Amino acid sequence: MSDKQPQSDPAIGARTLAIAEIISVSLSCLIAEWVFLSFLSRYRWLVIVPLLLAVSFMVLSHKAYRESLHDLGFRSDNFLSALRLLVVPTLIAVVIIFLVGWYLTGPPSVPRLLRPRLLLLPAWALFQQYALQGYINRRAQTALGTGGKSILLVATVFAILHLPNPVLAALTLFGGLIWAAIYQREANLFALAASHTVASISLAMALPLNVINGLRVGFKYFG
Amino acid sequence: MTKAKLINFLIGKSILETVLVATIVVGFYITAFPPYFHGWGEATSSAIAGWAVNDNAPWDRVTVQLFIDGRFVATQQASFSRPDVAKAGWSKDEWHGYQFTLPTLSVGPHEARVYALHESGGGTRQTLQQLGDPIRFTTDTTGNNIDLSKTPTSHR
Repeated sequence: MSDKQPQSDPAIGARTLAIAEIISVSLSCLIAEWVFLSFLSRYRWLVIVPLLLAVSFMVLSHKAYRESLHDLGFRSDNFLSALRLLVVPTLIAVVIIFLVGWYLTGPPSVPRLLRPRLLLLPAWALFQQYALQGYINRRAQTALGTGGKSILLVATVFAILHLPNPVLAALTLFGGLIWAAIYQREANLFALAASHTVASISLAMALPLNVINGLRVGFKYFG
Repeated sequence: MTKAKLINFLIGKSILETVLVATIVVGFYITAFPPYFHGWGEATSSAIAGWAVNDNAPWDRVTVQLFIDGRFVATQQASFSRPDVAKAGWSKDEWHGYQFTLPTLSVGPHEARVYALHESGGGTRQTLQQLGDPIRFTTDTTGNNIDLSKTPTSHR
């Protein structure tokens, strides 16, 4: 019998913390969607509370892990190489979306193309990609290593955040797999945001609103 | 910032979010299903009749809905005269009665439930609260109804 004291493996501790971080940030997003936006009709602006908590936590986490903006993917040196990886899957996704939309409702109508809300999409896409890749993907790699498992975890988290909208959940699972895989090869959030923006605009333009249910997620999906 | 501090922040964030969610859920429940509504109902030979009062607004008339065997039948405002209700101290005035004339029902047992309709969220949300107990009655071959649960003691 050994008289040595059992020692905790630091790697296990790091993996546990990374998983706890992913769960915590994901829960903040789910709370924002399912609780704040659904039950606080007059005080919906309070949704900023869980989002600020999540963002503050992510910023503190980056400091604890000593990650720079460059590490996260806010950089320009690999923009073109990341874009090169993204062009083909993005174009394939856009073509499929437009073909499905054309089959369901005919060519996209001009008024839907001109919705002013779409102008905010690049910033929103960049924020989503930062949270998904710059934070969750990096923690997933800490917990599960680079490769299939962590890529699948990132895509699953992204899809869960779009429940119960089945079309969006399926599309974000697919998109999440591609974006997470490419981020692990070329970590550039601007290129990912560009791909995300193009895919989202295609979705909003091409697919009928009843199919995507107005891009609603959380309790709002039901009405 | 060390990882130990990060863990503390993680725990603090979780506690804060739990408190926030609990507060919102309790607040929502009280807003959507306020414990203000009282009422009672019975089956007469051709109708479901009773009364409904909103204790928070005792001079207002309550909108009530009738469901029979789980299916919506009708809605009306409880504004018929029920002096007995005011006399018993359940309401400030007598105008809180309702009376739903029953549609043709199949012979046999049925169950009626009367609900108070409550609007919240600036009219964007409507909820139903059952008044009293379910009213069990049976319809005979002549179309008359016989109340099987006529115990006028159940109030809510």
